[in-house]
Amino acid sequence: MKRTASRLVYTLIVLFVSSVAVFYAIRLSGGDATAAALPGSATEEYREAFRDRLGLNEPIYQQYFTYMGRILSGDPGNSLTNNKALTSMLSEHGRNSLVLGGTAFGLVFLVGVPLGIIASLRRNSWADQGIMSMSTVAMAVPNFWLALLAVWLFASRLGWLPSAGCCSTKQLIMPAVVLAFEGIALTVRMTRSSMIESQNSDYVRTLRAGGLSEWRITCKHVLRNALIPIISLAGLRIGQIVGYALIVETIFGWPGLGQVLVNAVLRRDYPVAQFFSLVLVTLVVMGNWVADTGYTIANPRLRKST
Amino acid sequence: MTGLENSRSSHAKAWDERVAAYEEEARSNPWRKRLREFSRNKLLFTGSLLGILIVGLGLVGPLFLGSNYAGQSLRNTHLPPLTEGYFLGTDQYGRDLLVRLCIGIRVSLFVAAAVTSIALVVGMALGMCGGFLGGYVDRVVRSVTDFVWGFPLILVAVLLAGGLGQGLLPVILAVGIVNVAAITRVVRGEVVVLRTKEFVEAARACGVSNFRIMWRHLLPNVMAPALVLASYYVAVAIIAEAGLSFIGLGAQPPLPSLGKMVADGRGFLRLNHWESTVPGIGIAGLVLSVSLIGDGLRDVFDPQLRHEAKGVEKG
Amino acid sequence: MSAVEIKSGRGEAASSLKGMPLLEIEDLRISISSEGSSFEVVKGVSLTVCENEIVCLVGESGCGKSMTALSVMGLLPRGVARVTEGKIDYEGRDLLSLQSRELRRLRGDFISMIFQDPITSLDPVFTIGSVLKEVVRSHRDVSRAEAKEIAVRALVEAELPDAADHLDSYPHQLSGGMRQRVMIALAIALDPRILIADEPTTALDVTVQAQILENLRARQREREMGMLLITHDLAVVASVADRVAVMYAGEIVEEAPVEELFANPQHPYTQGLIRALPDISVSRGSLHSIPGRVPSPQTPPPGCLFAPRCVHVLDSCWEANPELQRDGAQSLRCFNPQPFEVR
Repeated sequence: MKRTASRLVYTLIVLFVSSVAVFYAIRLSGGDATAAALPGSATEEYREAFRDRLGLNEPIYQQYFTYMGRILSGDPGNSLTNNKALTSMLSEHGRNSLVLGGTAFGLVFLVGVPLGIIASLRRNSWADQGIMSMSTVAMAVPNFWLALLAVWLFASRLGWLPSAGCCSTKQLIMPAVVLAFEGIALTVRMTRSSMIESQNSDYVRTLRAGGLSEWRITCKHVLRNALIPIISLAGLRIGQIVGYALIVETIFGWPGLGQVLVNAVLRRDYPVAQFFSLVLVTLVVMGNWVADTGYTIANPRLRKST
Repeated sequence: MTGLENSRSSHAKAWDERVAAYEEEARSNPWRKRLREFSRNKLLFTGSLLGILIVGLGLVGPLFLGSNYAGQSLRNTHLPPLTEGYFLGTDQYGRDLLVRLCIGIRVSLFVAAAVTSIALVVGMALGMCGGFLGGYVDRVVRSVTDFVWGFPLILVAVLLAGGLGQGLLPVILAVGIVNVAAITRVVRGEVVVLRTKEFVEAARACGVSNFRIMWRHLLPNVMAPALVLASYYVAVAIIAEAGLSFIGLGAQPPLPSLGKMVADGRGFLRLNHWESTVPGIGIAGLVLSVSLIGDGLRDVFDPQLRHEAKGVEKG
Repeated sequence: MSAVEIKSGRGEAASSLKGMPLLEIEDLRISISSEGSSFEVVKGVSLTVCENEIVCLVGESGCGKSMTALSVMGLLPRGVARVTEGKIDYEGRDLLSLQSRELRRLRGDFISMIFQDPITSLDPVFTIGSVLKEVVRSHRDVSRAEAKEIAVRALVEAELPDAADHLDSYPHQLSGGMRQRVMIALAIALDPRILIADEPTTALDVTVQAQILENLRARQREREMGMLLITHDLAVVASVADRVAVMYAGEIVEEAPVEELFANPQHPYTQGLIRALPDISVSRGSLHSIPGRVPSPQTPPPGCLFAPRCVHVLDSCWEANPELQRDGAQSLRCFNPQPFEVR
């Protein structure tokens, strides 16, 4: 219990530091916020007035507190480009991202773990070598190129799947698979090596000496031990998926948080960039915390401090 | 007992010599043994070949082909590969794809190499200090690395791009930061284990200074896992740079970045697909060869490392 | 106190109680393959373990004693070591030619084994109770409650304090000595005929060592098990063995009942080992050691394997490796045995 509490405190501190970092990062360039919002013909006084209104001329730390206050009270403001309320953008795009990310996350484990187990059980067989080389290649191929390839193949050439857009199941398939691709490859390798390491442990020898069948030893004992590191890294997958979603959503025109963020950065739409960076960063931090907690639960050695 | 030492028979001496000769051979230069393993290791070999090919293309190609990556020729747009004078064809502005590919490879390599080498130095230094000195220094190092550790590379880069604008700088910084965090983590872990080993205790007992211990004893031992990890991160850096330039950050036109080239060709997938395919294959080949080299290096140096390396995050 | 005195403190002459032969190892040869080449680590070992006796297999690390033990259970690390020749007879059946299913039925139930390192030898994510019950139920058709009873009984017999409470403990919550008792419980729960113990006390504190050995001996006597105890520690041998086989570089060089071995060791290696035992009663004596090193399997000496280190070596010892000669209850592999002198 104590460990969870201290971990929670640590997470909150991380969140705080992240929010500050994000805030400062966006403000770094000193570039002109008015460039996005006002037409090029606007006069300097007008811009100055605009900046005053946005509070951009106050000292940075004060801006930070004002900003955080506004967020916590539920009103982060509006986009500079289209004046939409950020909260409504969040719920709309957030839902899309959740669907995409969730599906990808599920794919990573539902496909990666079984493949890794198969590879470890049939070491050095054709299946194993095939799976391993595929995963090496999968990790090397940049996923945006893979996305393009998939679009070209399945949309243009074969016409089986739509090339872009939201939100039908058919439109979900390609982006989710592309997003999950690298995670699957990584999970396969990790599962395989974890299984092999477990299989070579001393306790397997003890269990064999007790007369247990190989089948039982592998399925019950080896597997259970092997899954521990994989579960523990599940939370980090969240971070990875969040990161890649930025690209995948852009390619497939899937209107999620990632796409919004990228566009905002390119168009220098500060409020949007700021807020959604914060959201994504929070997601990642929470993901890490879940990973840590998951690891503690899965590994009895850490459960109770004797 | 005394008789034994003085009057070893000729049999005994002959056998002693045989054992000595065998052990001499077995103990031969560890680097030579590693070199032998290197050539026997298929992964390393293939990866290196592939890598040399591609890297050679990037470094040496422009010397022969000219470095005119920006020269447009509106008359020769969208030419397919193997047309007269344009080995890989041209893009929408009539620019020679082969030249752009070579330069693009150069850019990718430059970013990856520069970032990774700096990250290696900084990461090893931080990791050794944190792991060896312990206490306050260690806690600071650990907090910072843990903080950066879970962050997807792309998100960090986008954030920095938000602040620093577009261009290579945010990419380099982002890749560098994440790289440093990962290397520091691994090095620190290694050092913590090494710290308890006898040879370190012995050095301490002899009064050797901390710095010397780190430099002479810890560094060589930490080098291997750090290098393996670094080679892995070179691949990560290449993909990250490509991905970021694909969505519009990163290298700005007319400088050809492989990712940007793929993005540019996106609109012409149906008819002139090579404009995306060529740089795409370039990226994949580059990353694949670096990955293979990294995997091979790891197999040669320490199969134990597999676990740590695969837990490392990309993205 | 010298080794001879340690042993005589025990009292009983157990060798007269032993029963029929249970396990007969005949001319066992094991090879290890690494980096493309293979070499023999066990070179024709023959050994018999009878009912109600404790046989100790003694030797330095690397002499092949663990490999011998593992091969009985069929637990040699696959792909690394394999039996190239020989028979291992258990109640008339050759264990080496058994199907894995039959072998599995024997393991734990008729022949069981305890290992050296209790820290890594227990599955860390399962409670010791669940592992015990699992092993019991894989051999006996009993209910969960009955399995639990058997488990508790085994833990009590292994002298684990608060046995019933510890059923829900995880291995990491127990000390090294306690974990080894769990291993013992696992091994005796199903009342096997033979128990093989591979350096069971090496990883433990000295005080705990004595307790564990006592426990093992008591259980062995109770159930009249045949026990094969592997160790490198002559003190252990002195305190529990009925019969001793000394192993060197993959061969058995001497075999004798324990009193004879300590009173009158014949092989120079055995003599060296006994001489090397520090003798507390002698103050300011020098420490004796056997000069030289164990030959690596890749470079065996041309004749007797012990020749390079032997104090009584003759030229003829370099030419051929002596055979193991049997003489009643004793065996010896030496061309030039000399009487033992304590110096």
